[in-house]
Amino acid sequence: MKNFLTKIYILAFMALVTYFGVIIWNLTFAHLIHEYHERHAGNVEYSEEDIAQQEKDKMSFEQVILKSEKRVKNYLGYRVLEQQYIKGHFHHIGFDVGPDKYSYCSSCHGDMPHDNVTKDMRAFLNMHAFFIGCQTCHSRPEGEMTTGVYQWYDRETGEIVSSPVNDASPGTYKAKIIPFVLENDALVRIDSKERIEFVAQYRLNEKDLSEGQRSKAKKLIHSVVSKKPVMCEECHSKENPLLPLENLGYSKRRVDSITSTEVVGMIKNYTKFYMPQMLHPGVADDAVQQEQVQQATPVVPVASESAAPDAKHQAAGEAEE
Amino acid sequence: MLLNLIKRPHWSFGALLIALCLLPGWVLAADMGNCLLCHKYPGLSRIDNDGKMKLMFVNEEIFNKSVHSKVKCEGCHTDITKIPHEPAKPVDCLTVCHIIEPTSEQKFSHKSVKTFIDESVHSKIDQEGKLKKFSEDMPTCKDCHDNPLFRPLAFVKKVRPGIAEDAMGRCRVCHEKEDFIFRFYNHITTRLHKSRSPLNVAEACGKCHDDKALVKRHGLTVMAGSSYAETFHGKAANLLSETIPDCLDCHVVKGKSVHQMYGNDDPRSSTHPENRGAICNSVDCHPKASVKFANYQVHPVFNKDQSPVVYWFTTFFYVLTGGTLLPLMIILFLDLLRRLFPNATFRRRK
Repeated sequence: MKNFLTKIYILAFMALVTYFGVIIWNLTFAHLIHEYHERHAGNVEYSEEDIAQQEKDKMSFEQVILKSEKRVKNYLGYRVLEQQYIKGHFHHIGFDVGPDKYSYCSSCHGDMPHDNVTKDMRAFLNMHAFFIGCQTCHSRPEGEMTTGVYQWYDRETGEIVSSPVNDASPGTYKAKIIPFVLENDALVRIDSKERIEFVAQYRLNEKDLSEGQRSKAKKLIHSVVSKKPVMCEECHSKENPLLPLENLGYSKRRVDSITSTEVVGMIKNYTKFYMPQMLHPGVADDAVQQEQVQQATPVVPVASESAAPDAKHQAAGEAEE
Repeated sequence: MLLNLIKRPHWSFGALLIALCLLPGWVLAADMGNCLLCHKYPGLSRIDNDGKMKLMFVNEEIFNKSVHSKVKCEGCHTDITKIPHEPAKPVDCLTVCHIIEPTSEQKFSHKSVKTFIDESVHSKIDQEGKLKKFSEDMPTCKDCHDNPLFRPLAFVKKVRPGIAEDAMGRCRVCHEKEDFIFRFYNHITTRLHKSRSPLNVAEACGKCHDDKALVKRHGLTVMAGSSYAETFHGKAANLLSETIPDCLDCHVVKGKSVHQMYGNDDPRSSTHPENRGAICNSVDCHPKASVKFANYQVHPVFNKDQSPVVYWFTTFFYVLTGGTLLPLMIILFLDLLRRLFPNATFRRRK
């Protein structure tokens, strides 16, 4: 046994020595060889191939998507302000807008899903999507399924958590609101584990499915999505707001603010100017409205984007033109 | 925005006034239009048609610690005059804002910066007023600047980062407005030292000067950021030294603005061969430094043709280090091999 352990010890030590050897090589002679080849490649400083490769790398999936989320640190002396780097962004963020790792909707539609609705509304809708689960607005449980129960779930773990509203700055919560429905006389989350598993399986097997199977799966996944989403004034209303704000932990001051004439009035203004085009594309008369219609999706619910990818891309293409 | 509401009597004006009365003094400073009603939400964002993320969130706490904290939103976003508003147009940094410049008592603007930039090496136009080749590469304001944040210093028993409450107490004897005291203190002490750490300055310059394609297009000889990082100065900057020289300490003429930077061949430039002596021998750096010292290879690149002295010096140490440690590793490896197979041999056993 002792002999065996000694052998293991020697082998581990040999691996360590090899590892150090490689490091030393890379830190010393590898530099000399690299410099020699670079100098003899024709262009001493930066060869055309280098530059072409650099430009190509800039557009690779890895650079554009995976490594695009750079971070920057501002050293202020008394504090280090670290935040996400967004090219050309002037104001400091100082807050991490982390992804919703639990939502099965976000797994396909992303954390900023509203990019094809009317130009002036998409940021507002994305702002709400930051702390309101997709199903809260895009699903309208009917009949016996309706419960009026909503709770917060953790964006990271998906677990139901207590209200994060109390001490936080508005909208900076690490949790989102999700509706509960009645299924077989039991109160359950609308994003049940079965649905999450179904979507995960669909995504895993998507490539191997036939057109018909894909279409069927999408229909089932989006079966909870209502044709008409919940509208702003259904929550921003003093009388019977859809969301039980006080039960969700909002203080009376915050509820008053959310349902204040200031907010409601602004919504009315936005609704008057922009919402008609969003809900009824094609009815606008003047040129401005036509432009807005071009940029709107045929149907607002999130489901439509996946169910009709061609229509979505066509609409996006038109908007870009 | 307020004027617009006054002209068109509107119920929301009353609500706005009530909201303004309820707002703390800080918010009143910049957010007269109650823009933070929406823009305080970090999720206010979208992906534009080019696939770029647009974040419309304004962090109030951080904004109030910036040099623009007293500027109203509409002071820069001049196209926004009503709510609901259209997507905002890009801000023109040369806009005349409502701030009164105290020495001239005129409204403030960054217009003088444009004059400086137009004469500098970073100008898009040449001396004849024509667009330079690859002018699109030249930096615009936001390529170098985000919203500058205060970096206050406390001078009481010793100099340290942050605010000295003792000093603030003295201000409060005569001055009543807390936000004025805070801003004045921050403004003055921030201006008494570097407004950005040397590392942040090098990173800002490196955005362009470490871009291989850009360096090649403009005929620059080195990648300035990465070569600076190889020097003693760069390594100290990386360790967050505040006293080490950064790009601006050498490339900006003393007493001038960072926007008045000239090419090495321009006699006005601090890095012109005849002016370089004055860079290193400043009283804060190497007071007795000679011109020869200042003309050493500041941006060394490990390349035999470009920097032969640096090349041979570095090669010597590479060979010394590798030549010592690699044989040591080989000997260790062989020794371990013998211990693993104590009786192994290439000779035929008799």
